[in-house]
Amino acid sequence: MGKRLLWSLVLSSALAATWADAAEKTAIQVMHQGDPGFVAAYGKVAERFEAANPDVDVQFIYAPHDAYNEKFSAAVMAKQLPDVMELDAPFLANYVWSGYLQPIKPLIDKDVLDDMTESNIAQGTYPIDKDLYAIGLTDSSVVLYGNKKYLEAIGARIPKSVDDAWTRAEFETYLEKLSKLDGVKWPIDTFRGYGIKTEWITYAYGPILQSAGCDLIDRKAWKSEGTLDSDACVDALAMMQKWVKNGWVVPQSAGTNQFYAEGNPAALALGGHWVYAEAVAAMKDNLVVLPLPKFGAKSVSPNGTWIWAITKTSKHPDIAAKFISFLLKDKEYRAYVASQSGYPGLKSFAAESPLYADGGPMAIAFEQASKTAVARPPHPAYPTITSAFMQAVDEVFNGGDPREALTTAAKKIDQDIEDNDGYPPFDDEQ
Amino acid sequence: MSDIALSIPQARVARPRSAARVLRIVQTVSIFIIALVIVSPLLLLVVASLKDDRFQILADMGSFRAFWVSKPTLSNYAEVGHLSGELAFGRYLINSLIILITTVCSGLIVNSMAGFVLAWGSLKGRAVILSIVIALYVIPQESIIMPLVMMVSRAGMADTFAVQIVPWVASPLYIFLFYQFFTQLPKELLEAAEMDGASFFRAYRSIFLPLSLPALATVSILMGIETWNQYLWPILVTQTDYARPIAVAIATFFGQDSIYWDRAMAASVLMMIPILGLYLVFQRWFVSSFIGSAVKG
Repeated sequence: MGKRLLWSLVLSSALAATWADAAEKTAIQVMHQGDPGFVAAYGKVAERFEAANPDVDVQFIYAPHDAYNEKFSAAVMAKQLPDVMELDAPFLANYVWSGYLQPIKPLIDKDVLDDMTESNIAQGTYPIDKDLYAIGLTDSSVVLYGNKKYLEAIGARIPKSVDDAWTRAEFETYLEKLSKLDGVKWPIDTFRGYGIKTEWITYAYGPILQSAGCDLIDRKAWKSEGTLDSDACVDALAMMQKWVKNGWVVPQSAGTNQFYAEGNPAALALGGHWVYAEAVAAMKDNLVVLPLPKFGAKSVSPNGTWIWAITKTSKHPDIAAKFISFLLKDKEYRAYVASQSGYPGLKSFAAESPLYADGGPMAIAFEQASKTAVARPPHPAYPTITSAFMQAVDEVFNGGDPREALTTAAKKIDQDIEDNDGYPPFDDEQ
Repeated sequence: MSDIALSIPQARVARPRSAARVLRIVQTVSIFIIALVIVSPLLLLVVASLKDDRFQILADMGSFRAFWVSKPTLSNYAEVGHLSGELAFGRYLINSLIILITTVCSGLIVNSMAGFVLAWGSLKGRAVILSIVIALYVIPQESIIMPLVMMVSRAGMADTFAVQIVPWVASPLYIFLFYQFFTQLPKELLEAAEMDGASFFRAYRSIFLPLSLPALATVSILMGIETWNQYLWPILVTQTDYARPIAVAIATFFGQDSIYWDRAMAASVLMMIPILGLYLVFQRWFVSSFIGSAVKG
């Protein structure tokens, strides 16, 4: 009996101590997406952060990539926004306009802010008040990957820098030559397998239209009609449709990689920087990284990736910011991101990434950030802009009329802006 | 002449026999091909889960190599099993089982009770209620999902097991299935029970419910599959691994930049096993229920 009483006392004291410990801690919630590698990496950073800050408990809310926006909408409706949230950079304007995010400049460590690249600042800045609302360790870009053996076989010129990029005529000539080369099933993989549930089409194909001399929307008047359905855009999309019709592009049904798959059935790949790690592992020295071609007077490349923001409803913005600063400086996290060919968004991280340094295999990708990168339209209507554009491209790739599809998309975008009274104060800019 | 006369009837007899044999061969081959087509995705899933290279899985897609593995390995299963913390699959699997068992058990009770009352109850306006129940079935889940999210979060149910069970226990489809089954049983059973002094509930519990095994099996399987495959709802209403089911965990393998086909396949096979077990347990009654309803028209 005495023993039982003693054990009860010990147990109660232990439980009480645990309860007291948990009660003393300040919890912050972090909503994120990512594959198992990143999920595990965030978990380890949180452990190190909690060890350095014993009074803080970091709770993660994982939302799968394909259902992230739905999860975010549910969190908004349920008034359960987390303290820290990962968001896709082009959606930032919409979130700030809707009042979900707060400026982070006064909260994040100054050394981290000073470390940001221009492109990183751009992806986290709201164009109306020019304030910074989000920050990331990384940014992103798309390059043209090439199979050296095939390119040499057709006598293609290998550009050495962004200024040296292929012209539209060169690019199309090479596609045609590659289509006739033994071993090449498709001249180019544009990763159509990513589908229209992701941002891929707007992110990777939008710059082709911009390079050809048009845009998804007029960035001063914030009107899509007259821009997205202009002759230049119609011509650019018709050009891409021709590639598909000619059988030069890897079809969507072939999955998300035919460039470095066994046998290398695709000769070129219009792929994100993240493709590099897997491609080089499979292709070794046979991989060449080229700048995006000039489809008009200039090259254009995309930027923007998933970055960290603090919500307006956060009760502990200071701790939330402390966690973000800690994450961006964490050595082991940086090493993991570098191993995944993470595209530097901080200068110090760029210095730690020989892949992107001068002379590095992905130097051209980093050169694009300062010379040709154009952010996706930083406007609250962006969710509609991207959805309408992706539907148009999908329709055209499946045989639809480019002008008709782009006109419908432009009308849809303008209608959304009109329905929201121009998303003031964006309408004041006109 | 006589030879010819004798040979004609023989040929007449032989022709139908050989025709029947050919027909039987065609039927067997057709069934075999159809079965192969139906089973092939499953086969592909299992084979892919035994390959140790996710790029190989992709490379093999679209060819017969997708159905063959030269050096099978269980490493993908081991990797899935070793995941810990936010990705601990064991935890998600147990969560899914808890949600499945609770939802199906509660669903059987609630839906069968509702079906019985609508079939034999003395409730006024039963026909109207039945029409409303049937009408509710056509409302897609997606259209009510956001208001439902708001309701459950206001009720303080977010991130619990209850939030994944309670909203889906009562279902118009299953109420209707039970209603239809109970109406096919003779009313004399109820009258006899009432004459013996049994209450309405007692008649349901002791007479009608034990007779409705095929309906119970059908609803168990359909409800089980529906519950087991829930994906969007758990994402919207749960935050942590505390109550999240396995379908959400598998989604981590489909990242923004890469898809981990090898582990996704292994996890999918693991996810498939319990629901396959449920089907095998109830298969006999499930089939007889369908045969029964087909015969009764």
